[in-house]
Amino acid sequence: MKTLIRTVGVVAALVMSQRSVATEEISAEARLAAQRVAVTVCATCHGRQGRSVAPKFPALAGQHPKYLAAQLQAFKAQTRGDADAVGYMWGMAAPLSDEMIAALAAYYGAQSPGPGSGGDAGAIARGADIYANGVTAEGIPPCVACHGPGAAGTDEFPRLAGQHAQYLLKQLRSFQNNMRNVAVMHGVAQDLKANEMEAVAAYLQSLR
Amino acid sequence: MDRRLVVMGRSGWASALIAMLLAPAAQAVPSFARQTGMACEACHTVFPELTHFGRMFKANAYTVDNLKPVRGVSATREEMLALSGLPPIALMVQVSQTSIAKAIPDGAGNFSQSSSVAFPQQISLFYAGKIAPRLGAFIQLTYGNDSGTVGIDNVDLRWANNQVLPGDKSLIYGITANNNPTVQDLWNSTPAFGYPYAASNANVSPLAATQIDGTLGQDVAGVSLYAMWNESLYGEIGTYRSAKQGAANALTGAAGPLDGTTSNVIVGGAPYYRLAYEYLWGRHSLSVGVYGATFKLVPGGSTDAPGTLSGPANEFRDNAEDFQYQFIGDQHLFTLAGTHIREKMTLNASFGDGLGADNLRDDLATTRLTGTYYYKRKYGATVGLFSTTGSLDAQLYAGDAPIVVTSASGKPDTRGWMAELSYMPWLNTRLSLQDTQYSKFNGGSTNYDGFGRNASDNNSLYLLVWFNY
Repeated sequence: MKTLIRTVGVVAALVMSQRSVATEEISAEARLAAQRVAVTVCATCHGRQGRSVAPKFPALAGQHPKYLAAQLQAFKAQTRGDADAVGYMWGMAAPLSDEMIAALAAYYGAQSPGPGSGGDAGAIARGADIYANGVTAEGIPPCVACHGPGAAGTDEFPRLAGQHAQYLLKQLRSFQNNMRNVAVMHGVAQDLKANEMEAVAAYLQSLR
Repeated sequence: MDRRLVVMGRSGWASALIAMLLAPAAQAVPSFARQTGMACEACHTVFPELTHFGRMFKANAYTVDNLKPVRGVSATREEMLALSGLPPIALMVQVSQTSIAKAIPDGAGNFSQSSSVAFPQQISLFYAGKIAPRLGAFIQLTYGNDSGTVGIDNVDLRWANNQVLPGDKSLIYGITANNNPTVQDLWNSTPAFGYPYAASNANVSPLAATQIDGTLGQDVAGVSLYAMWNESLYGEIGTYRSAKQGAANALTGAAGPLDGTTSNVIVGGAPYYRLAYEYLWGRHSLSVGVYGATFKLVPGGSTDAPGTLSGPANEFRDNAEDFQYQFIGDQHLFTLAGTHIREKMTLNASFGDGLGADNLRDDLATTRLTGTYYYKRKYGATVGLFSTTGSLDAQLYAGDAPIVVTSASGKPDTRGWMAELSYMPWLNTRLSLQDTQYSKFNGGSTNYDGFGRNASDNNSLYLLVWFNY
C-alpha cells in the first residue's frame, strides 16, 4: 500500500514538473486574456466560473491549478485519450500557450466550487466507506490516501468533491480500460466493480 | 400590367417550390471539425442539428480554431493577417431514390415513372470557417439535379465579438449578412435549418408556404445585428432586400438595377426580428422564442411578360413562435422542436379579377412539430407532423395552375406526417429512409385537384445517402 502511494507521488510529480509556469509568473495581461477565454469559450461547456451544469463536462471551479495545467498539457500533447478528451479537448487545447494554460488553471483554481448534489443515501454511505477505507478484500486502496479528506485533493491529485457523478464514472471506466492512460489509477480502478464505482461517484458528487 | 403574385401565378409558385426545395439543403460541415480539431458531436447532436456549443460557435462567427495561422504584422505589431493554415473547404453529396404512391400523369395522357433516382440529388461545396479573427463565413455552392447547374445556396457571413461582463457573464454581439431569412438563426426550430433537413426534390410539393418559410431563400440579401447575453438571451434585428440571382436589366443587360422583368421584388427593406431564450439544466436544454418579418413585394413580371416595380405592393406580415427541447446523453439523444408561423397578407397589388387574388386580405399558417431520437448517435428515428391552413381564395390557390399541383377547392390546406429511420455508420455519413404521408393536400383529401388525384397519392418514400467530407 505504501509503495503504491509513493509510486503515485513520484509519477505525479514527474508529470506535474513538465512545462509548468508558476502561478506567480503569470502576467496580469495573461490573466485577463485567460479570463476572457474562460468566460467566452470554456464556459459554454464548463459553466460560468467553472461550475458546469451538464454532467458530461467536469466542474472546474476550485480545481487545483497544477492538476488542471497538467491536464491541459496532456490534451495539447494528445496523451490523454478518453473519448471526450479526444472529441473536444484535443482541439480546444491545441492552440494554448504554456502561459495561457497556467493562467486558465489559475483562473479556475480561484473560483469557488458549486454545491454538491445529493443522491441515493445508501449508495452515498457505501461510497463514503470505500473512499475512506478502500475494499480490503479486493485489494483496492482507500481513495482518501491520495485525494485527501473531503476529497479536496492536493497539487498532485485532483479535487473530486462535488464533481458530477457521471463524469467521475466515465473517468473510472477510462482508467480501467486504459483509454485514459494513467498507470496508478489503472491499478486502483481495474478491480472496482460497477456498483462500487457508482457508489464512490455518488458520494463524491454529494460533497460540497 | 400583369400583377401576378408570387404564390399565386404559375411562375410564382414554381419559384416558391424551388425555394422550398433548396432551403433544406443542409449544413454540417467537416471543415468546421478540421478547423476546431473537435469531433462533430461537440457542435451537433447529429448533423445538422446544433448543440448549445454549436450555437455558440455560430454566434461567435465560426471562429474558434486550433490551427496555426499564417500571420502578417505591421511595424507597430498590429495584426494584419491571421490566415488559417488550411482553407475551410468541405464537400457534401446526396444520392437518393424517391417513390411516389401514385404516378403523376404526363401531358400526353400517360403516366410518368413513379420512382426517381437522383445521382446526385445534390453536391455542395462549402467554404465554412474562419476568415480572420472575429470574421467567419458559411458559403454553400450547390449543384442540383433539378436545375442541372451550379448555383449559390445558403450564405451566412458574420462578424462577432464578445465581452466579459461583471460576474463573469458573457455578451456576444455581431453582424450577419445572409441570403435566407432564418439561415443565420442558432436553433433548429426555425425554417432554414429545421426538419426535414433533407427532402426529395422529386416529390409533389404543396403549393402554399409563408414567405419566411424558405420562399425567399437565395433571392434576398439581409443584414442584421444580434446580441446574446449570458449564452441565454438572444435578440436580433435586421432588414432584407431583393438580391435576385440570374436577373438582368432589360435595357442594359447588366446585373442591375432590377426592373419589371423580375417578379416579386421587395419594396425598400423588409424588417426581420428574432428574440429567444435558452435555459440549460443537467443534460437538458430548452429554448423558446419568436421571430418574424414583414415583406412588401411588388409583383413585377417576367422577360416574356414585363410588369412594373412601381405601384401597389402585396404585404406579407409573418410572425412566428418556436421552441426546442434537447436531451443529450452519452447513449440516448432526444430532441423535440416546433414552430407556428402566421402570415397575414394584404394583397394590394393582386386583389381583383384576373390579378391573382379574390380577397384583399388572406391568412396562411404553418405548424410543424418534430421529435427525434438517436441511440449512440448511430441509429435514429424521427417523426414530424406538419400542417398548413389558410383562407379560401380560388384565384390565389387555383389560378391557372395545371393538375396535380393545384387546388380545386381554392384552399391551401395541407396536413400530414413524416417518419424517418436513419443509420449513421460514421458521424459524417447518413443513410435514411423517409416516409411522407398526407391526409390533406392543397385543400382536399380526395380529388383535391379536381382531376381525381387524392392527397394520399402524393405519399412518398425517400431513400437518401448523405456524405459530408
